[in-house]
This record gives sequence, structure tokens and C-alpha cells, in this order.
Amino acid sequence: MRHRFPLAAAAVALALAACGADDQPAADETARTVPGAASVPSIIATTTIWADVTRNVACDGLADVSAIIPAGGDPHSFEPSLRDREAMGNAALIVANGLGLEESLDDTIDAVEADGVAVVRAGEFVDTLPAGDEDDHDDEADHDEVDHTADVTTHDDHGADDPHIWFDPTRVTATLPAIADALAEAGIDRAALDACVADYTDALVALDGDIGAIVETLPPDERLLVTNHDSLSYFADRYGFTVLGSVIPSPSSLAGTNPADLEALATLITDTGVPAIFAETQHSSGDTNALADRVGDVEVITLETGTLDEPGSVADSYVSWLTVTARTIVDALSG
Amino acid sequence: MEFLTDPWNWWITPFADNSFMRDALIAGLLTVLTTSVVGTWVVLRGMSFLGDALAHGVLPGIAIAFIIGIDTSIGALVAAGVMVLGITLIRRHSPLPEDTSIGVLFVGFLALAVVIMSTQQASYVGDLNRFLFGSITGVDSADLQRQAITAGVMLVGVVVLYRAFLVMTFDASLATMLGLRPALAQGALLVLVALSIVSSFRSVGNLLVFAFLVAPPAAATLVARRVPVIMVVSVLFGVVATVVGILISYHHGSATSATMALCSVILFFVVLTVTAVRRALPSARRTTAAAG
Repeated sequence: MRHRFPLAAAAVALALAACGADDQPAADETARTVPGAASVPSIIATTTIWADVTRNVACDGLADVSAIIPAGGDPHSFEPSLRDREAMGNAALIVANGLGLEESLDDTIDAVEADGVAVVRAGEFVDTLPAGDEDDHDDEADHDEVDHTADVTTHDDHGADDPHIWFDPTRVTATLPAIADALAEAGIDRAALDACVADYTDALVALDGDIGAIVETLPPDERLLVTNHDSLSYFADRYGFTVLGSVIPSPSSLAGTNPADLEALATLITDTGVPAIFAETQHSSGDTNALADRVGDVEVITLETGTLDEPGSVADSYVSWLTVTARTIVDALSG
Repeated sequence: MEFLTDPWNWWITPFADNSFMRDALIAGLLTVLTTSVVGTWVVLRGMSFLGDALAHGVLPGIAIAFIIGIDTSIGALVAAGVMVLGITLIRRHSPLPEDTSIGVLFVGFLALAVVIMSTQQASYVGDLNRFLFGSITGVDSADLQRQAITAGVMLVGVVVLYRAFLVMTFDASLATMLGLRPALAQGALLVLVALSIVSSFRSVGNLLVFAFLVAPPAAATLVARRVPVIMVVSVLFGVVATVVGILISYHHGSATSATMALCSVILFFVVLTVTAVRRALPSARRTTAAAG
């Protein structure tokens, strides 16, 4: 029996070698987190959209802002690595969307906050809309849903609010003072921040006006949205659209569709003559494509809903992203 | 090759500099301790499928607990209890082999969890991923306490029930003759398996706790024969997989629990290869024996 132990030791050593064989990326990672950290506070935002907004509140490089969830990542299911946890622990401030958007990051954000890192959750500073509350769900499952809603709202920290607040620039504008306050707490010059907020508020007011003008080209009775998951409610709320329904009304990535709902939605699409269904890059659109095939005369348009594009592309800032998105939606509906 | 050329910075500094790394390490080590001692019996008794089923079978309990707002561990424990009871019932009242009853309940519980989550249209709490993969970057001291208590219960349970488990595993008729009640011992073992899964799902997630339940004890059975030695070797293998997994995850930004689980499985294959090669080369054995 005893002679087996050197063997075990050899096995362990081999496994170590197997597990740790590739070291190249480590150097890159260290290099990436270091620059600029010495002079200005380093701020971490959860999504690329909030990183861009924060960068504009701390304009002209008042802070070194980075996003934890990479461009193109799904904020609902992004899992932080230990490196991300370290970066968050070392940040002067964390800017999150809140309202349950960053599902898989929430525990980590809470843990970092408990360690004393300041966290600002933008969703706390806007008028929210209820999640998953569409008007096409008036079928037999209705009373069931009401029960569940009641259950959820009694539950402490996870409300039933729709987290996709960045689809309305006026709501984003409402979060700017809170983000500026938090940045000032993190040691950035108040007067400089106020100047940035004033500039960016102007920019967002202009953006709101631009989108209003884009939407204006679409007759009010054609402003009808059918989506893959629920994510366009705030856009609809701001610009006078009606959300007819969603292919997958639940935000859970494991939730499937139910045939009765799909049938009702298909009928609705045919009856109203909606020319397009909006899918999202982060979610599988298999069911949506199938629905479109069945209905026939309807196009599936894929939107980037929770993330900006890679830097250098058309939609690499919040302002340009929302403009592109609005134009895509209006073009698709104009048929 | 930084872990060889700059060992201090690769192996030690991450833990020395970051309290969350120490918390993650402690959570991982407690998981290893808990799963190795009970996992040894799971492997020896050929109950891996049951372990996997239990690891997933707790999901509907977690989902319901989450919705009604009670502690998810309680929900998980209740679901595990119901599943074990169900498996026992099917076994008693049907001629079906055990793996069939496990399989039926496994898929039933998993589907139930998804159905429950899918009815949660009005909230953004509904992603099972966070339960499947855990969140070792978000463990707090309450989680660590819970895991430490469970590890203690597990060690006491395994020591107290050692004789019963041993006889049950290797000679069921002898167990009955000795009055050791094999059915009761089996029940106790299932409770311990369920406890180890429930205590660890918050940190490593219940999909990956299964890896620790099976891979290190399986590797240990390849190099040791006596049960207490298997347990000790399994803990050692588990510790190696955990430490290396956490460090790789830290240095390369990979998902933590999955990296740890992968290391434990790679370790198993390395041990398997070494033992197989050694068996194929009788001369090597003689040399080692002579040297030892």
C-alpha cells in the first residue's frame, strides 16, 4: 500500500502541469488593468452602455471607466471571474443598472459593496415600468399571473420592475445627477462633473429630440412592437409605441414558449399587419424565426439590446447606439 | 510557465493580497472536505447517478424557496428529501431497477424547476444559471459558516456510521445478520449526500458540486484500497484541484467553479493514465518496489 503514494504525488504534479500549461494571457490582463489607474479613480460599470454614460458624466478623462460585461455579452447571465471580482473590489465606484438586470453578477456586487466599495444602481433613480406586463395576456392564465405578481412584490429586494431603462434617454438623463454625486464621493472635482452633466444632458435632450423626429415619420397607428423577449417597453413608453406581445414573455433563458400564446400572437400579427418582429442578439431567435415563417409576411429584425458594439463601429456610444436602434425599428415598421 | 518561473507571484500573492480569494479558497476547501468523505461512499457503492440526480433534483425546491422568499437551502433540502423518498417508494412498489426510478425523478424534478421558473413572467429573478453554477466570487461569511457546520456534521456522520457503511457496501447479508439495518444505513448515506450538495450549491453551484462528489474519490480509489485512506487521498486530490482551479481562474479570467471542476476531472484522468501505464510496465513496478 505504502509504495502507491509516490505515484499519487507524480500524478498530482502532472495534473498541475496539465492545468497550468498556458500562461500567456496573464501578462495581457495585468497590462490591461494597470494604465491610468494611478492618476484618476478607476470606475467599473456593469454594461458597456452604463460605462459610456458614466464616461460622459466624468468627461475628458476625469475617471478611468471600464465595463465588466464585455461588448456583446448578455447582462442577464454574465458570470464574473475572480479577475473581475478583483477589479470590482479595487474600483472607486461601481455603476450598475440594478432592477435585477445583472442577475448572475448580483451576488458579487453585493459582496463587493459589503467590503466597502460604493455602488450606484441607476434603476433606483427612474420611474420604472412593471416587467412582463403586456396587454395580450388576458387569457385563462390571468388570475394565476396576478397571484405570482403578488408573491414577487412581497419579496424584499427583487422587485418586478422592467430593468431595460436605457431605452428611454429621458430616464437615463434622470440618473445623471445620482451618478455625478457618486463620482464626487469617489473624489472627482464637483465643478468639473457638473459641467460634464450639463453638456451630456444637452446631448441626451438632443438625442431624445432626434429620435422623436425619426419616430414622427411613422404614423401613430403603425407604432406596434412584437419582440422576442420583453425589452422595448421603455422605448414604447417614451415614443408612443404599443408592445403587442413577446414570443417568450419570460426573461428566464430556460423558459420556453407556450403554443397557445404563440398562436394568439400569430393571429395578432396577421390581424394588425405588423411587418416586423424584433429579436435580440443575446437571445436565441429560433422560436421567433419559426413564428415569422408561419405568419409569412413578416420580417425578423435583430437588435443589439443590452450592449454597445465594439469600439470603432457605428453603435459604439450610447447616443449613436440608440439612434441606430430607433432608426432600425422605424425602418422595419415602415416596411 | 509563470507558475514555475515566478512561483511566489503565481501561487501565493493572489491569496495574500485579496480577501475574496481567501474566501473563495475556504469555500472550495470546505466543499472538497464535505464532498470527498461522502463521495467516497458514493463511488464505492456505485451511486454516482443518484448523486447527479440529487444535485439537479434540488432545483425545484430552490426555485420555490426563491419565489416565496425563504432560505434557498431549506427549499433545496426539502426537494432532496422528497426525491430520496420518491426513489425509495418506486423501488419498493415496482420491479424496476434503481437507475430507472432515479432517472424518472431526475427528469421530473428538472422539468418541474423549469416549469416553475417559466411561470415567473413578472420578475427578473428567474434564471436557473445562478443556481447551477453558483457564485464563488460572491460568498459571504454566512455561506462559509454554513459550509463549515455541514463539513463538521459530515465528518461526525461518516465516523459514526463508518462500520454500517462499510458492511453495507461490501456485504449486505452480513450487515443484516449483524443487525446493522442496511436500509437505514442507505437512508443515512443519502441524507449525507443531500446535505453535502445543499451546503455547497451556493458557492460552486449544484452542477459542479457533483464533479467534486465523484472525480476526486474516483481518482483516490485508483491509488488506495482502505476506505479511510481513499478519503484522505480524495481530500488531497480535491485540494489540489481547488487551489489550481482557483489560481487558473484568477490568472486567466476563466469561470471559477467550472475551472475547479475541470481540474478535478483532469486530475482523475492523469491518475488513471499513470496507474494504467504502471500496470502495463511490470519492470517499473519492480524498480519502484525495490527503491521503496
